[in-house]
Amino acid sequence: MLQYLVILLDDTSTSYCHYGVNKKERRLISLDHLRQGIRFGMVENLMIQFVYPDYALPQEYLDVIDTIDHSNIKPMAVLDNDTDIVVLNSWDYDASKLKDAVVVLRTGWKQLNENHGMLKDLLAVVQRLNVVITDVERMTDSDREQYKTVLASLGKEVEQLYVDGKSPQFNLLTDRMMLTAMNNCNAGDTTITLAPNGKFYTCPAFYYEEESNSVGDLDSGLDIKNKQLYRLDHAPICRKCDAWQCRRCTWLNRKTTLEVNTPSHEQCVAAHLERNASRDLMLSLRSKGTFLPDKEEIKELTYLDPFEIATQWK
Amino acid sequence: MAKNITFIVTKDCQLACKYCYLVGKNEKEQMSWETAKAAIDYILSHEDEFREESVIWDFIGGEPFMEIDLIDKICDYLKTEMFRRNHHWFNSYRFSFSTNGINYHTPKVQEFIKKNISHLSIGITIDGTERKHDLNRIYKQSNPDGSEHGSYRDVVRNIPLWLEQFPGGATKVTISSPDIPYIKESVLHLYSLGIHEVNINCVFEDVWQEGDDKLFEDQLMQLADAIIDGGYYTDYACSFYSENIGKPLDPELENQNWCGAGKMLAVDAAGMFYPCTRFAGYSLREKKPLIIGNVRDGIDKNKLRPFLTLDRMTQSPDKCKTCEVASGCAWCQGENYDAAATSTVYQRATAICLMHKARVRANNYYWNKLYRKLELEGQREQYEKNKREVKPVDC
Amino acid sequence: MTRKLVGQVTPEEKNEIQALFERRNGLNELAKVLTADNAELYEKLVADMGETGTKFQNWWDRMAQKYNWESSPNGNWEINFDTCEIFLNAE
Repeated sequence: MLQYLVILLDDTSTSYCHYGVNKKERRLISLDHLRQGIRFGMVENLMIQFVYPDYALPQEYLDVIDTIDHSNIKPMAVLDNDTDIVVLNSWDYDASKLKDAVVVLRTGWKQLNENHGMLKDLLAVVQRLNVVITDVERMTDSDREQYKTVLASLGKEVEQLYVDGKSPQFNLLTDRMMLTAMNNCNAGDTTITLAPNGKFYTCPAFYYEEESNSVGDLDSGLDIKNKQLYRLDHAPICRKCDAWQCRRCTWLNRKTTLEVNTPSHEQCVAAHLERNASRDLMLSLRSKGTFLPDKEEIKELTYLDPFEIATQWK
Repeated sequence: MAKNITFIVTKDCQLACKYCYLVGKNEKEQMSWETAKAAIDYILSHEDEFREESVIWDFIGGEPFMEIDLIDKICDYLKTEMFRRNHHWFNSYRFSFSTNGINYHTPKVQEFIKKNISHLSIGITIDGTERKHDLNRIYKQSNPDGSEHGSYRDVVRNIPLWLEQFPGGATKVTISSPDIPYIKESVLHLYSLGIHEVNINCVFEDVWQEGDDKLFEDQLMQLADAIIDGGYYTDYACSFYSENIGKPLDPELENQNWCGAGKMLAVDAAGMFYPCTRFAGYSLREKKPLIIGNVRDGIDKNKLRPFLTLDRMTQSPDKCKTCEVASGCAWCQGENYDAAATSTVYQRATAICLMHKARVRANNYYWNKLYRKLELEGQREQYEKNKREVKPVDC
Repeated sequence: MTRKLVGQVTPEEKNEIQALFERRNGLNELAKVLTADNAELYEKLVADMGETGTKFQNWWDRMAQKYNWESSPNGNWEINFDTCEIFLNAE
């Protein structure tokens, strides 16, 4: 069931996920489309998230946006008090400006490997940190071995923050400990995107990939063909998986396996390395005292890619 | 478990069968020896990724025997390389052909057969009586007067030679809407030619007209009467009738995919790999080819994951999930993909639904009638002990 | 020529002789395309044919001893790979 509507305010609105923004020219959504989009969100009872470009919007846009309860996703360049989620597209940031912020850090794997030591200070000040590895599908076996080391190192930092009395929220390590079921992106199922061209897409990535990927428009409404394939119960590998923190990115799925409901080996392994690092962190924190007593222990697994045992489920 | 590896050696054929799903047949795309060799070298050098105990090297077209020189060279190379590499498939391999039978008697094809006889499976497609066969299986080029040129006579003359070389030879018959009135006479005709196993299936494409299911059911019941009253059931088989079809399926225990796409591998003249030939461009009406790799870079395993995790329930619409006669209802993953509303193999096409239900009703009639006859004659126990099993053949 | 059922082997024993049977057929058909020009492979083939033939005969000797099948001076035994049954073909 749909719950969220993402509205891209401009063709150059920041990415907050795996996809890159390949449109370079500014093109604001028309005021008419913006109003219609907000109306669509209201009548469908959807929570609206606006995604901003890196320049200030005209006042008339801000006035229209303000007609609905919403949240704002903004790039660092336009960070202000009205920002709910701030997106960092590089490691060149000033952590002091991010106190109590909800932060998305988009990074390539190589940069994460080189700079992960900086995350300690960031985790100490922000309310929540989501790290998105933008080239996760290109990670090699040796990259993944190194990723395990990086996660272990970050686990130590997070553990120390807990010991110091803080409660950092970090998607790669703490989400899995807190969750009790799958909590994924759910594009096409609970979330839909309105692009500046007035058309709907299952997520912004499909818009930037090809405008003809649309699943309806403001005039004729939504028309998501094979909508069931975006649901967890129609994803044979994922529905039995317990890497609950996985983004389960349908766009990456289609890009790598040609099916929106089937993750790549790379996505599965990365998610399981994070899951296993969460397990280690949870066990370590519990060895120091009571920690999340109502949560079950994360079980040890013999695989990193649930595809390996998929045939056993049949 | 055998791995099925298909070489699409040519996209050309002497015929232009009206029901042929190969919409992109042409005379230009013949596989080169270099491409075939590269495919073989890739496959045999990745033995750890092809662990199946046996292999079926399948040759398809178009009409494969139009490229008999290439096929002969490929098979010689396969034998030599499997042996040289100590590949485990050398102990268990077959060369398989599905041919229109027109070139079957030619010296080159016969020489090839004699050379490889103990490893060959060859099926000749003959659709039944001359009238039924020539309704669909016509030459590309018409007669001088513009009328259609049927291929029946050029095929049927080779049937005795084929049955002499392959005594258990089975034929495959394809049923489309115009063929329905001729089903009974066609099966009986094939029996009269000495073919003891007739595998029939309805095309999966959405070709059916209103009322076809009733006509189909009627034909199958007439055929059932003829088989039972004529006593053919002891030595002949027809895949339409099976005791295993027409029952509800358990959503968990009987959740397997029907089709083997993805567990098979096909390679075309351009050196592209496909999960089955039905995903190559020449087989598709609406969709782009679904390529899973090529002979140079190998197979992209990520693109096989959807096929290897497909199950019945996930791809089926609600009416199939709760269908009370679901067992035996087949699907073709390639047709599912081609007919789907999006680019997916997870949307089951159901054009065949009414035809399956008609088949189930006629099938019930067949077994009720046969077993009653056997009971009355005191032959049931003997029949059940000796009855021949027909494996479902659906593509 | 008469054909008589004289015994049965286990599925494992059947698998063993079937693999040897397939290999022998494969070697025979390979022999039709390999020439002495390819000396190394030709020698490998000749050696394998000898080895496989010996294993093949050993299987029949071993099974005949184990099961003590009925025999005939000019007859030969035959196996049905589908049923594991052994038949005696005799004149």
